[in-house]
Amino acid sequence: MKGRFGKFGGRYVSEVLMHALIELEEAFEKFYPTDDFRQELDGLFRDYGGRPTPLYRAKKISELVGCKVYLKREDLLCGGSHKLNNSLGQALLAKRMGKTRLITETAAGQHGISAAMAANVVGLDVEVFMGVKDIERQASNVKRIKLLGAKVTPVETGMGVLKDAVSDTLREWATCTRDTHYLMGSTVGPHPFPEIVATFQSVIGKELKAQIMEMEGRLPDAVVACGSGGSNAVGAFRPFVSERDVRLYFVEGGGERLDADNSAAAFSLGKPGVLHGAAMQIMQDEHGQIKPSKTRAAGLNYPGRGPEISHLCDSGRVKPCHAFDKDVFEAVRVMSEKEGLIPALETAHAIAYVLNNGKEFERDEVVVINYSGRGDKDLETIVRYFYGD
Amino acid sequence: MEIEEKFRQLKSRGEGAYMPHVYYGDPNEEFSIELIKTLVENGADMLEFGVPFSDPIADGPTFIAACERALRGGMTPTRCIEGVRKLRKAGVDVPIILTTYYNIPYVMGLEKFTKTVKEAGVQGLIIPDLPIEESDELLRFAEKSNIRVIFQVAPTTSDERLEKIVSAASGFLYVVNVEGVTGARESLLESTVNLLKKVRARTDVPLMAGFGISKGEHAAAMVSNGADGVITGSAVAKIYSKNLKSPEKTLQEIAKFAAEMKQACKERNKSSTS
Repeated sequence: MKGRFGKFGGRYVSEVLMHALIELEEAFEKFYPTDDFRQELDGLFRDYGGRPTPLYRAKKISELVGCKVYLKREDLLCGGSHKLNNSLGQALLAKRMGKTRLITETAAGQHGISAAMAANVVGLDVEVFMGVKDIERQASNVKRIKLLGAKVTPVETGMGVLKDAVSDTLREWATCTRDTHYLMGSTVGPHPFPEIVATFQSVIGKELKAQIMEMEGRLPDAVVACGSGGSNAVGAFRPFVSERDVRLYFVEGGGERLDADNSAAAFSLGKPGVLHGAAMQIMQDEHGQIKPSKTRAAGLNYPGRGPEISHLCDSGRVKPCHAFDKDVFEAVRVMSEKEGLIPALETAHAIAYVLNNGKEFERDEVVVINYSGRGDKDLETIVRYFYGD
Repeated sequence: MEIEEKFRQLKSRGEGAYMPHVYYGDPNEEFSIELIKTLVENGADMLEFGVPFSDPIADGPTFIAACERALRGGMTPTRCIEGVRKLRKAGVDVPIILTTYYNIPYVMGLEKFTKTVKEAGVQGLIIPDLPIEESDELLRFAEKSNIRVIFQVAPTTSDERLEKIVSAASGFLYVVNVEGVTGARESLLESTVNLLKKVRARTDVPLMAGFGISKGEHAAAMVSNGADGVITGSAVAKIYSKNLKSPEKTLQEIAKFAAEMKQACKERNKSSTS
């Protein structure tokens, strides 16, 4: 069934949004397969985004872990993270649909930046909804978004974090679907969003597959990615899902410790439910009220796992795991000192998992970490963690 | 009282139905009970009984705040269902339409949910984030428990989907008359009238107009143009939200508001005879 990933996915929205989702689904099916669309998107990926991003053999990290570790360098994509892949794709689609405005939500700010960039490239207005708490902790990215000409709308409902920003963006969209496209930032939300985002992000996995074949002459033994909604992970995993010998690891935000009030590890602490238009794995209480997640990485601070990653983990194809905040900061330090790369706190979850679980990887194994973003945006948080105020 | 019987009764009197929507437990359970009694005593023909949810994506700021307050006060779906029982015991006999987001019945289990709410005294369900395409399972269990599932239709609903919705409709249809989320608006769109006509041509199921109705004139316009009744959403919550420390002090104003809405629902009589 379309829009279903096992028991997850679907389209749970109010009647006022149904026509917009159907319109979007039809537009995606109509435009995406055309040469015209693909050529324009590939051209932007290459000339504006800087694709293909390199696959880097991290020798020092390899020595530490005891296997061959490669980094898929999405931090080198223009904007500093994988987010632009999806934003360019959806902005092009919105333009072809005749929309004049994009709305979106952001947590770490990376998606807000990429949405503002894509809107400018394509020629659309853009408004970014951002939780007040995230605005505070991702201040430098807020400045970037504003400099790029986007309107930033603070979200004060709920806890003022990503979950609340998604809700408010859905509410806004219900009032303006005629001229506005909701540029969903991750593989979450009602069908067709998870499919659209995964399609545009799967450029990561396609490149990665070709690159590792060229460099190693074989498929990797493992691909590791961080996530909450799952867009960078699903993008990296998709071309490997049918390759049963490739182990796939999804690292979520462990937060401070593994209990429901101090973590974002929905696969350890959640259960299936329906939120923001889709059935997925969600942190919630016994009655079905959604629990606010908690992690130092704003981009992983979402209580739900998108339908596709929910299904991949539920079916056993992907191994869900988590990294705790303290190990994440340590991973930032190690990566900075050993490889000269400052990773985003989100990305550092995947790195922390590999660093701390060397026993899972044999000596001659090839492990690829999807290095989803750079850490400039987290500099203040990181510096404060290591050196105090 | 079943929904159908209520509409028959109103029809014989030539009146439109008035249904207010409240979120139970906002700001506390005691007030909700008094509020509901006040609404029913002053003209509410049915009650939309909201079970607070943490992420009410189809609600506007007034109801988001209402849900937050109710949840902070410890309201749960189980206590809400118990609340329906209390209302029935207290003599509230109008049809009760329970509204909540799909995760609540999903987590409880649809079979248990429909059975439990029916036993408590609920006649219908509104699940705003459950479109017709996702509703097969709920419809099956609701039918087993003899509960109506109320669907929405909007000006943007295509003819093809309207056919599907109409063929699954029972109780009444919720006609969403503005493209948006709940919130008190100053004026109503002309498209509502067209929508009412369009839906009416396809079904005899009663049509309740909702979203953005906050004044008697809105209600009168709806019932004069083919609606069988109106739903007010955040309008009531807006009144008591002005005095959350002593919300009971606003009950008089709320009584007046309900009476005005009910009076407006009788205007159809006048407009059709004049």
